[in-house]
Amino acid sequence: MRRKIALLLCLVMLTGLFAGCTGTDTKTQGSSDDITIKFLHKWPNQKDNDYFVSAIAKFEEANPGVKVSMDSAGDEAMKDKIRVVMGTTEQPDVFFSWSGEFAKNFIREGNVLDLTPYLEADPEWRDSIMMAGLEPFMEDGKYYGIPYRINGKFFVYNKKIFEENNLSEPKTWSEFLSVLETIKGTGVAPIGLGNIYPWAACHYITGLNQKCVPEDVRHDDYIRETGEYTDPGYIKALEHFKELNDKGYFQEGVNSTEHNMALEMFYGEKVAMVYVELEEFGDFDEKFEGEWGFFPMPAIEDGAGNQNFLTGAPDGFMVSSRSANPDEAVAFLKFLTTLENSSEMVQTLGWPSPVEGAVNSENSPASLVAGLEAVSKAEGMALWLDTDIDIRISDVYLPALQELLNNDKTPEQIMKEVQEISERIKAE
Amino acid sequence: MKLYGNKKTALLFIAPALLFVLLFIYYPIVQNFFMSLYRWKAFGEDRIWVGLQYYRRIAQDPVFYTALTNNFLYALISIVFQVGFGLVIAAILEETFFRRFQGFFRTVFFMPSVISITVVGLLFQLIYHPSIGLLNNFLKAIGLENLTRAWLGESGSAMYAIIASSQWQYIGYIMLLFLVAIQKIPKELYESAEMDGAGAFQRFIHITVPQVKETIIMNSIITVIGGFKVFDEVYVMTAGGPGRSTEVLATFLYRSGFRNDEMGMASAIASIIFVITFVLTLVQLYINRKIAEE
Amino acid sequence: MSKARRWNLSRALVMLALIIYAILIIYPLLWMLLSGFKDNQGLFLDTWALPKTWIWQNYVDAWNQGIGRYFVNSVIVTVSSVILTLIVSSCAAFALARFEFRGQNILLILIIGGLMLSPQVSLVSLFKFLQKLGIYNTYLALIIPYVAYRIPFTTFLIRSYMLSLPREVEDSAYIDGCTSLQVFAKIIMPMSKPILATGALLAAMSCWNEFMFALVFIESDKYKTIPVGLMNLRGSLSTDWTILMAGLTLSVLPMIIIFLVFQKQLVRGITSGGVKG
Repeated sequence: MRRKIALLLCLVMLTGLFAGCTGTDTKTQGSSDDITIKFLHKWPNQKDNDYFVSAIAKFEEANPGVKVSMDSAGDEAMKDKIRVVMGTTEQPDVFFSWSGEFAKNFIREGNVLDLTPYLEADPEWRDSIMMAGLEPFMEDGKYYGIPYRINGKFFVYNKKIFEENNLSEPKTWSEFLSVLETIKGTGVAPIGLGNIYPWAACHYITGLNQKCVPEDVRHDDYIRETGEYTDPGYIKALEHFKELNDKGYFQEGVNSTEHNMALEMFYGEKVAMVYVELEEFGDFDEKFEGEWGFFPMPAIEDGAGNQNFLTGAPDGFMVSSRSANPDEAVAFLKFLTTLENSSEMVQTLGWPSPVEGAVNSENSPASLVAGLEAVSKAEGMALWLDTDIDIRISDVYLPALQELLNNDKTPEQIMKEVQEISERIKAE
Repeated sequence: MKLYGNKKTALLFIAPALLFVLLFIYYPIVQNFFMSLYRWKAFGEDRIWVGLQYYRRIAQDPVFYTALTNNFLYALISIVFQVGFGLVIAAILEETFFRRFQGFFRTVFFMPSVISITVVGLLFQLIYHPSIGLLNNFLKAIGLENLTRAWLGESGSAMYAIIASSQWQYIGYIMLLFLVAIQKIPKELYESAEMDGAGAFQRFIHITVPQVKETIIMNSIITVIGGFKVFDEVYVMTAGGPGRSTEVLATFLYRSGFRNDEMGMASAIASIIFVITFVLTLVQLYINRKIAEE
Repeated sequence: MSKARRWNLSRALVMLALIIYAILIIYPLLWMLLSGFKDNQGLFLDTWALPKTWIWQNYVDAWNQGIGRYFVNSVIVTVSSVILTLIVSSCAAFALARFEFRGQNILLILIIGGLMLSPQVSLVSLFKFLQKLGIYNTYLALIIPYVAYRIPFTTFLIRSYMLSLPREVEDSAYIDGCTSLQVFAKIIMPMSKPILATGALLAAMSCWNEFMFALVFIESDKYKTIPVGLMNLRGSLSTDWTILMAGLTLSVLPMIIIFLVFQKQLVRGITSGGVKG
């Protein structure tokens, strides 16, 4: 018994020793008059986090007296809980936000600093950022956020499979369907979809809604106070998506597959296509070099929406309205988005930057440059549905997409539920 | 005895524990009920009195009934497998013949219950995966290809798949509780039964089961209460999906509060969980006392 | 006697069933361990095979990509919670086992009654309360609730053990002039070592594995414990599954080792409690 206790103690001490070694993290220690800016981002994994650590070191060097204390929360945690931090004294000065309703929720509650004066004082800074990136962070003509990445959604396909079957990149939905039918005939599943978390299906519906519903109607519907969701286009969008599933164009078991598993199937040539974001292009270059191409969601011939939009959105940072040091916080944001630092970010992380010229043929593979070009050429962006509508509506909408794929619900039933929840929220 | 006569000293010894329990167990539970009567958000200070509105909404919400049904299902299946199989396995391992292997099997069967549910959940997510998972690959290997399916992806099977992983984890736990109970049965009972020519099965039915009746009841109640507390495995494996088919009360609570930011609603669901688990615990205590009186 | 030990058909069949069940338990765990050595292609396409090359790097990567940090957090939270739980609970147990005063029963019921309340119920209000106290999103946000929810059971466990201890030594110590505090520290505590070990093990296991509080009360990655950290590690985009498998393996190892070493103490604790999880 005694020996076992001794053993346990040793174990504890050993791990304590570990704690001593690895426990020294990025805590910044400075003199007491230093200004400290709290910075919250959403990329806790080592590689991404390291980039920010080095960027902060450079910023602190250039701005003596200002310290940045950094924190990170993962993707799902961010969606669930960043709202929660806002209520505490721990509220960060600079924090990550998606564009669209997710950001607007903070803006409405008065939690976000209006950045317009800063941007107007420095027009050079403002003009260096793509409008497609800035616009989704605007409310009532004011700027509330600085985009850090700008993302587009594309179908990435296996070139070999396309060539073997004499297929070309489809421009219209009916061409798309015939491509899929041909691939299915060869025994390979045409599209890999990982919908265990329904944001994956939601990205399809994001684009399909935009293409099927008139622009002004959709715009009003996505706003909490005016949402109705009665346009027949919404049902059509769901029907198009359902058709892909009913005809067997997705692999088996979409609702229990993770997105990254779908990617693995693509690399393993078990599926011919995946629907992915621009920021993932780097992985394809690494693992599937030269053997892949991409195209945006094809136009829907009789769709009531603008067919030249692209699905995608910027995400970026906002400054807290309660920040004690707004000038320093904005200075930090400006530092992150200089052309020089953005180029370095692109080089290190491969993320599409909305800063003009940051993504170029010198620091990025051709695919990323071409992808970003497609983004900047698009007539507008269809923002991610789940962060563009009220969270309580997306909480009904998204799980229903899984049920659509399981044939447990019809498009009509889903839209009826969406209408009901939207009515209830309006009444509050 | 003067050594233990000073009440103040006694209270001093108890104070820290009491403080912890009162502040962090009892106070939040009382507070929770009041919080369910307001509409309030995680951030922002204002709250609006809504009375019992959230309870009314829950009563009309089909998701609530899905969740309740799933909790029941969880409890019911757990009784059959954990209590039923747990008892049978314990009885087998206590048989004279198998006792020499008991150490090994007890260790192996109990092992999963020391592992965190997150790990078990992530592991089973991979085991259930339609194309690369162990389960479907196994079914294909033994020629039962037509049984393969997307276990966690279909509303029909997802809940059962989650429950199954929980059985995998906890049968050994309940088995252990039975082992101890069976060891307390007087050996003479078995010996005289054997003299009368009773087989192993008959001894199980006529001696083991009646002798551990109390443990069976206790374990059943523990299992049922456990069934109403389920959160981790569902959150990790399906997060309530596909659709809402695997929602349980605790995930329903989490989703309402920490995703939809309707904290009042979440508090109301918490109050309902409280009532259910509290009543079940009272039943447990009542039976406990009855047994003690006998 | 020899008849009872001889093999026959039905015994062989039962044995077979037991072995199959044991394989059902062991194989998935083994699969997790081995997959940690594969690459993604190997995991997805050759599910059953042994790793072609043993990639130890996965375990290193898993450790460096977060498991190391989460591991350290879990150790900090678990060790502090266990120590605090033991101190607070043994004090209360001592008072409740030895002292006699009015109101004793009520206090006993109050403390042990905490067992009847499930943590889910207080999730929301505790979350708000911790915010108000200003300890939300710190180690304390986990340690304090863990201690609170461990006290009822641990007190119950230690108290029943103390009740069974003989009182002669204490009496003679009293005659020698010891105070109750001295008796507690010098006599009762040393004698209670076995049950303290049991209580510590059970508390450690529940703190190490706790998920829901850790999910809600901790915001930032640098304080996350292993169960929630693993969810983070999985991420929603390009994750390396075999590294995750390695991470899963690393995170269960301490508990499996503790279980194998201290099996006897654990079993005693569990069977005296009547509480699950």
